[in-house]
Amino acid sequence: MKKRSVVFFCVLLGIMFMALLVTGGCAKKQVQAPTAEVTETASEDAQAQAALQTAQKAAAESMTEGQAKPAAEAAARPVEAAGEAKAAAAEKAAEKADEKAAEKAEFRDINFDFDKATLRADARAILKEHAAWLKRNTAARLLIEGHCDERGTSEYNLALGERRAAAAMKYLVELGVAKDRIKTVSYGKERPLDPGHNEEAWAKNRRCHFVLSD
Amino acid sequence: MNMNRRFAFTVLVLALSIAVRLSVAGEGERVFIDIDSPSFTKIPIAVAVFRGPATQPRADEGPYLADEVSRYLDMTGFFHPLPRRAFLADPAKDGVIAFSDWSAIGAEYLVEGEWQRDGEGLGAVVRLHDVVKGEKVLEKRWTERSGAVKPLARSIAASILKGLTGDGGVFDTKIAFVVKRGTSSEIFTVDFDGGQETRLTDMKALTLAPRWSADGRRLSFTSYRDGNPDLFVKDLKTGATRKVSARPGLNLSGSWSPDGKRLLVTMSFEGNEEIYAMDIASGRLTRLTHDTAIDVSPTWSPDGKRIAFVSNRSGSPQIYVMDADGSSVRRLTFEGTYNTSPAWSPRGDKIAYEGRIAGSFQIFLINPDGTENRQITKGVEHKYPSWSPDGRYLAFTAESPRGAKIGVMNANGTNIRFVADGTNPAWSPVIP
Repeated sequence: MKKRSVVFFCVLLGIMFMALLVTGGCAKKQVQAPTAEVTETASEDAQAQAALQTAQKAAAESMTEGQAKPAAEAAARPVEAAGEAKAAAAEKAAEKADEKAAEKAEFRDINFDFDKATLRADARAILKEHAAWLKRNTAARLLIEGHCDERGTSEYNLALGERRAAAAMKYLVELGVAKDRIKTVSYGKERPLDPGHNEEAWAKNRRCHFVLSD
Repeated sequence: MNMNRRFAFTVLVLALSIAVRLSVAGEGERVFIDIDSPSFTKIPIAVAVFRGPATQPRADEGPYLADEVSRYLDMTGFFHPLPRRAFLADPAKDGVIAFSDWSAIGAEYLVEGEWQRDGEGLGAVVRLHDVVKGEKVLEKRWTERSGAVKPLARSIAASILKGLTGDGGVFDTKIAFVVKRGTSSEIFTVDFDGGQETRLTDMKALTLAPRWSADGRRLSFTSYRDGNPDLFVKDLKTGATRKVSARPGLNLSGSWSPDGKRLLVTMSFEGNEEIYAMDIASGRLTRLTHDTAIDVSPTWSPDGKRIAFVSNRSGSPQIYVMDADGSSVRRLTFEGTYNTSPAWSPRGDKIAYEGRIAGSFQIFLINPDGTENRQITKGVEHKYPSWSPDGRYLAFTAESPRGAKIGVMNANGTNIRFVADGTNPAWSPVIP
């Protein structure tokens, strides 16, 4: 049991790191990368590594040039320096990846207003991207999770979360995605993305989350 | 002397505005104190140290038993046990009872008696006296086979409550509630007094909405054990858990009918959330609501003739009432834009619910005809009201950023006491 969770955690870390590279550091975006794209992501990873090495080399060179103070600081914070270099490399990689973004399974969450299950314009725009991807990748199946913020009761929010998932499904079907490829489940307010107790957290938690499977 | 006492009693009644109602019990007429009156004040009561047998000189059970009886009486919210240091007399030493010694310190009732320990366990004979009238109200003998003081004290307190109010069953009840751990949750139970916290389910998944059957032998709940929110019923005697509905979408545990035959469930397999009555024996469903809006959280009236529920058909969640067959739907709440979690009082005269006021959720009471809407909690959020079977108390969840706690209060919102960490309480019927 413990071993399994450790392995799961490692895999999760790996996925999160890849997601960081692809999306330019936006942790909110969840990526379910199909296997074909893993190699692509891996090559970007290599690019990032190369960029990191360049950055380290530059840091080493700056030391020989006698700029001792910043170099010493960088040496004192090797982890931070590496992190900065990685972020810079990831940004570059993300810029390049942008051109191919259409082919990525980048299923962003959609958000809702308080006590509403109606699709906002921003949600419809995101769902259009999802529909386009699903029509190109016809083997994939989609689970839509409906979620709510913490306010109100468990039961009413279970119903509301289901309304949200149903609204997203209905729109995807209208856009031409086969209904039998989509399933919905409501988690109500039971699985918040952000555990905070403020409007910022609530806005994130009122969402549909998308999970792809083959 | 007797006239004086009567006069004093009358004045006291008027001063405290304690309404007394007549009720027929057994052969004669019994007078119970109306602890439900809005102007009710706690009854001052003295619990004297119990006399021990002369053959058992190390008699420390006497004061301990008295302390525990006082603690349980205090827990009811209807008594004010007087501190022992204020007592002018000690029946354990004096051997006689002078009522004036007790009325002088403000006691209206006196509890005294004897205890003894033998092969049978811990035994006690306890007498309850009306100090004002100078009469014995109750005399009873108990034997606690386990020999433990607390359960004996609990039985004594329950008898005193029953003797004075006509109902002491609340001591034999439990509260089921939900404990969240990460992304999963399980159902626990705790006794009315906060003791015996026990885990009831082992679903290893999100598990919600516990509901007791009318006889207290079964508990329904909803669990994501198999991925979907399915409906389960647990037999509390055998421990067997049975999946009773796994239709696509919600299978949300609602409310057991008073006759124990039907369970109200919110389901969405027909396209949107509707309320159904499920016949438990056959599993047959009867659809009760027909609206494209959300219909959820049903609760039976105690006579089984009506159902209160939540719908957002008006644009925001509000409480509605309908007949048990789904007809005569009427909106009950018109104040506020977020009213949910209705719970129909076992006495039938009130519906408790949670409403949002100034951004905070609080518990309200309203009459089933929509009159007398009244907020009974304030401060941190108070949610998920659930009635005790005698209709005198409400369990609830108090939510703050520090966490969620299960609390118990008198039905007028006073005497709040916390019994466990968790949420979504469901008060059991009296468990024999």
